[in-house]
Amino acid sequence: MSRVEPIDHNRAAVRQSAGWDELWRKEDWWAIWLGLGIVLLGYVLFANGSSIKWLAVTPAKWTTFTQLSNDFSANWLRYVGQFAAWLAVFSLALSALGHKAREFIPSFILLYLLSVGVFVIGQWQTANYYGFEAPLVALVAGLAISNIAGLPRWLDSGFRVEFYIKTGIVLLGATLPLTLILWAGPVAILQASIISLVTFFVIYFVAVKLGLDKRLAATLGAGGAVCGVSAAIAIAGAVGAKKEYAPIAITTVLIWAIASIFVLPFVALALHLPAGVGGAWIGTSEFADAAGFAAAQTYGDLAVHNGLPGTSDQAVFAFTLLKVVGRDVWIGIWAFVLAIVATTRWEKVPGQKTNVGQIWWRFPKFILGFVIASAIVTLVTADYSLADFNKTVNPAFVAPIKDIRTWAFIFSFLSIGLTTRFRELAKAGAKPFFAFSSGAIVNIALGFVLSAVVFAQHWSNLVR
Amino acid sequence: MSAELPLADAGPARAWPKRACRSCAHFRDDPDYLEAELPGLSSLSSARAAVRAADGLCLYHDRFVSAHSDCADFAPQAR
Repeated sequence: MSRVEPIDHNRAAVRQSAGWDELWRKEDWWAIWLGLGIVLLGYVLFANGSSIKWLAVTPAKWTTFTQLSNDFSANWLRYVGQFAAWLAVFSLALSALGHKAREFIPSFILLYLLSVGVFVIGQWQTANYYGFEAPLVALVAGLAISNIAGLPRWLDSGFRVEFYIKTGIVLLGATLPLTLILWAGPVAILQASIISLVTFFVIYFVAVKLGLDKRLAATLGAGGAVCGVSAAIAIAGAVGAKKEYAPIAITTVLIWAIASIFVLPFVALALHLPAGVGGAWIGTSEFADAAGFAAAQTYGDLAVHNGLPGTSDQAVFAFTLLKVVGRDVWIGIWAFVLAIVATTRWEKVPGQKTNVGQIWWRFPKFILGFVIASAIVTLVTADYSLADFNKTVNPAFVAPIKDIRTWAFIFSFLSIGLTTRFRELAKAGAKPFFAFSSGAIVNIALGFVLSAVVFAQHWSNLVR
Repeated sequence: MSAELPLADAGPARAWPKRACRSCAHFRDDPDYLEAELPGLSSLSSARAAVRAADGLCLYHDRFVSAHSDCADFAPQAR
């Protein structure tokens, strides 16, 4: 048996109760509160003849430093206002989530300044020409800072990858018509289900064949099939995995997910895939939401800058439908089924029942916010003609929300790099890495066939 | 001690088993603690994500377990 540490009653006091307090103790719910709050504020301002766009400032496209400095001279007050607004809402949320304001505030100041820098490079047309898109710049900058320069760990309080990406996804819902989700959702779910089942079973059976424990095999399989690190941690808990299994899965997923951010968009570009098809492929084959959005947004921008069919939004929308709607929603079901298998076949415990409630407990709640945001905007804009929508609603209401979403995504992409310290990751071992890689390769190949051949027409015509 | 001990997810949603891991002295579910113990967790996920539910680490069995698990080695927290 291993060590038994003394009881820390202070720690016990902050235990999560899995009850109503989840509404303010889980990031998913805070992403909903912030995302929907921004959408509703945007709508109220729009309905009263104003707009949230003053706060939604972003650097303009530029080619000379004169253009850049003129842009900042004209808008510096808006950046100050935006920073203050982000700081206020994130401080509220992260304090409720248990972070210390004295750690979060300096951390977020650093993150915001770096994000402005990343955004500026992302808007530099010369950099775009050479393929330096904002998500890649954010990731490389973050990885370089954390792995070469190094940062104190307490700064991680402000580098909340998941929280920022979930907030961004809820905001994304406001720019995606509900009708599109209903129209494209079934194909996304079908494609995602095929890929999830195949990927899981390839990883699982290869792992078991290699002699790995079934709990580790299941943890790795879910990490590859559903939603990366989040799935691995959910399944590890559901099947009662040994403590070392989750870090092994985390390391393996992280390496594959980060490598995929750099590889998938450029392979899709080399294959001249339309933006929507490339986004669908990334949605099928990336392993985590934040990493996938980085890859999908990169590909959308690359496709546009290289004259390929489709828009940047198509890549992000297709990715979202495949990954978030198609794959993430099933994590509770996976956990429930695997928990039954674990307690009835791998380790029989007479009289014990697996709790069906975990299907809901583990459900990624931010997806509800994504759908609600989409429904709100679809509903309040239903009476506008397309011409009126493009002339009034989009510039004053929807486009600023998209710009705010872009900030949330950049915070997340930067945070991936800033929190990924390769030397601190657990050693995965050859067998788990080989098993996961087997499934990942099958996933990428099958994902390409489904996205670029079987459902190519569907994804290339998304939001035409 | 065997690593293969009866840890099972048990009971209806709000009816915690008497020996639920949630109330056990060996159970740790503080998000900061989990993120420190599971390196890389916060890089692409979070201990504060809904998918974790109320899972945590059992220091007795060295396992990642559901807070609802019913365990034969339950040790009540001292008050």
